[in-house]
Amino acid sequence: MAGFSAVLSFWAGWQENAVMVQVGRRAFFAAAVMIVLAGAVLEWALLSHDFSLAYVAEHTDLATPTALVAAGFYGGQEGSLLYWALVLGLLGSASLVASANLGVRLAAYAAGVLAAIVSFFLIVLVLVASPFDLLSVIPPDGLGLNPVLRDGGMLIHPPVVLAGFASFAIPFSFAAAALLAGRPDSAWISHTRRFALMAWSLQTTGLVLGMWWAYHVLGWGGYWGWDPVENVALMPWLATTAYLHSSQVQEKRGRLRAWNFGLVILAFLLVVFGTFIVRSGVVQSVHTFAISAIGPWFLAFLFVCIVFSVVLLATRADQLGGRAEPTILVSREGAFALQNLLLIGVVAVVIWGTVLPLVSGMVGQQRVVSASYYERAAGPLLVVILALMAAGPLLPWGRAGRAQGAIYQDGRLRPYARALVWPGATALVVLVALALAGVRSIPALVALPFAAAVAATCITQFARLGRRWVLLPSMLRRRRRRYGAYLAHLGLAVLVTGIAASHFWQQEKDVTLAPGQQVTVAGYTLTYLGAVERQLADHSELVGAMRFGDVTLEPARATYAGLGGQSLTHVAISTTPLADVYVVMAGANADGSGSFRIFVNPLVTWIWAGATIIIVGVVLGNVGERSAATEAVRRRIPAPVPS
Amino acid sequence: MKWVLPALVVAGCVGYLIYASGGSAEYYLTVTELRSHTGGGYVRVAGVVQDDVLKSDGGLHVTFTEKDGTASMPVEYSGTLPDIFKPGITVVAEGKLGGDGVFHARTILAKCPSRFSTTPYTQ
Repeated sequence: MAGFSAVLSFWAGWQENAVMVQVGRRAFFAAAVMIVLAGAVLEWALLSHDFSLAYVAEHTDLATPTALVAAGFYGGQEGSLLYWALVLGLLGSASLVASANLGVRLAAYAAGVLAAIVSFFLIVLVLVASPFDLLSVIPPDGLGLNPVLRDGGMLIHPPVVLAGFASFAIPFSFAAAALLAGRPDSAWISHTRRFALMAWSLQTTGLVLGMWWAYHVLGWGGYWGWDPVENVALMPWLATTAYLHSSQVQEKRGRLRAWNFGLVILAFLLVVFGTFIVRSGVVQSVHTFAISAIGPWFLAFLFVCIVFSVVLLATRADQLGGRAEPTILVSREGAFALQNLLLIGVVAVVIWGTVLPLVSGMVGQQRVVSASYYERAAGPLLVVILALMAAGPLLPWGRAGRAQGAIYQDGRLRPYARALVWPGATALVVLVALALAGVRSIPALVALPFAAAVAATCITQFARLGRRWVLLPSMLRRRRRRYGAYLAHLGLAVLVTGIAASHFWQQEKDVTLAPGQQVTVAGYTLTYLGAVERQLADHSELVGAMRFGDVTLEPARATYAGLGGQSLTHVAISTTPLADVYVVMAGANADGSGSFRIFVNPLVTWIWAGATIIIVGVVLGNVGERSAATEAVRRRIPAPVPS
Repeated sequence: MKWVLPALVVAGCVGYLIYASGGSAEYYLTVTELRSHTGGGYVRVAGVVQDDVLKSDGGLHVTFTEKDGTASMPVEYSGTLPDIFKPGITVVAEGKLGGDGVFHARTILAKCPSRFSTTPYTQ
């Protein structure tokens, strides 16, 4: 099997040297096909319980349901790297097919960069982390999957988040190719944007699914713990969010070119850096993969990528100048630029928090930050970003508003300033309402009104559209991206509201109850009915029944005898319109009483709803829109203006 | 480049926020290091859970001894424990050492050797 994989990397390695574009691309496709074959072989080995493969024996057993056995493909270090290479191969091939009209050199370089990245993964797969290692003694049964992972979430969250993670390589390849080919104009932007958007959407979905899974399975009442693995998944997402906004400045105004290249490259470097950090075990995380020898390989790869990127940007710096044009701070591009700086600021905060244990460990006693660090350091930045989301879309581009300072003209508010009245008023109303309701937490009093203002901005934009309903179909067609983006912003406002409410007003209570006894948490009353012991196929469960209104919640504690008596919490959640009632069973006592930790989490459903709206907005605004966007770009920016 | 000034301002703000909030960083110690650690505040102490785990109140209150190679300390904690908590695993207790010599933990983190895989056969 390893020999088979070696053939794969030989193919991929060979095509790097191929200057002939067609040959190079076909070699890439061939490599992709071979990776698919390798993946199919591994999947087949998993499904047929071929325990002669170490990977199969370590990650599955005979008792695991078939769907989860199949998921074992990406459940371990080696398999997840193969899955990564698979995603790169498939998406890379798709992007190369789509790039056929971009010009020979650009397409060739993009194929070369992609092939180099795939080759790296294949080399690591063959030399240090092969999923096809054989065992000398074939065990009768495998070790099985960690019980925490025996859940439906395992089927969707890891593949989506890994695919998102892997796909950041594609925008990077095209950015690098554009620089290599000396064509840093906007053609690559429209092309890269689609793939950046796809990576971003996958990553958004993956992150939210991860939050959803953590919330429903882990039983600590939260969904985000600022764990290093979460952080490294968040950072490229932040950088790409910045890119998706700043690329519009380049499309519309021909500016921020170097910055856009920088962002795309940064997103990919963050992916490699993050992979190194969490997979080499240099930073402690609850997600840690088995410590393996891949650390130095990823460190070397990171080093090569950084040097490559810096040299590339430096040598092409002369071509990256924007159009000379006076800069106006209060303008759409001003808002984009500030938003970008703030997002990169958030990245800096997260990086520092993630690597602090490393850095402090080198200079003295190791120190770690807790969640409060991220909240205090990133919170203010995120609030300003929210404010920009409320105001930015209403500001005119560049000098169109001649807006410097002059909000009034002839005694009247300028149009953009008038548009700002709605979000401003909404924010004020929400602020007053919260204050009257007795809210005294400053962060809540800042975050929620701004979120409301963002929603108001989006809604007024849709309302303006509605007023001109005759033009509605054509407007929606021509400005799809724009209204899709407003929908995504609206979704984010909903999501932020959910996060803020569940963060500021979460209540928890530890109780021990005798059967029939009641407890009230945040106005929600629960009655403990009693506990029963159940015996299931591979584990036993202690189920504590809790009456809540008309429903009976059944939080449970499962014990897996086959895994050294490892126990696992089954959370019971009842969703009401305003809050989730979240019950965790701690255990039962000899006298028949049961002990529970009960959380009341306000508006958590808003997080999932908001995320869904974001994805719907992005999909509606962009899927199938490709030719129009490319054309618009070409029309607006005919050629790079030498400056 | 007129963006330089705003960029510097933002960078300055970010730097300040990181600096100001970084003060909340906690020391990460072993049980032995805790002995010689001066300075109050919350710390995180890593060690192995010993066999004397005593759960009361249906598992919501627990006392145990945490030990590294040379030193040990009693730990007291109220709340739900990580699923994999049991004698023999490594945990990180976050909290304060009280005057009574007992470490009062406000969180217990279990360091799973690995979340995505179990012990390899090859060892």
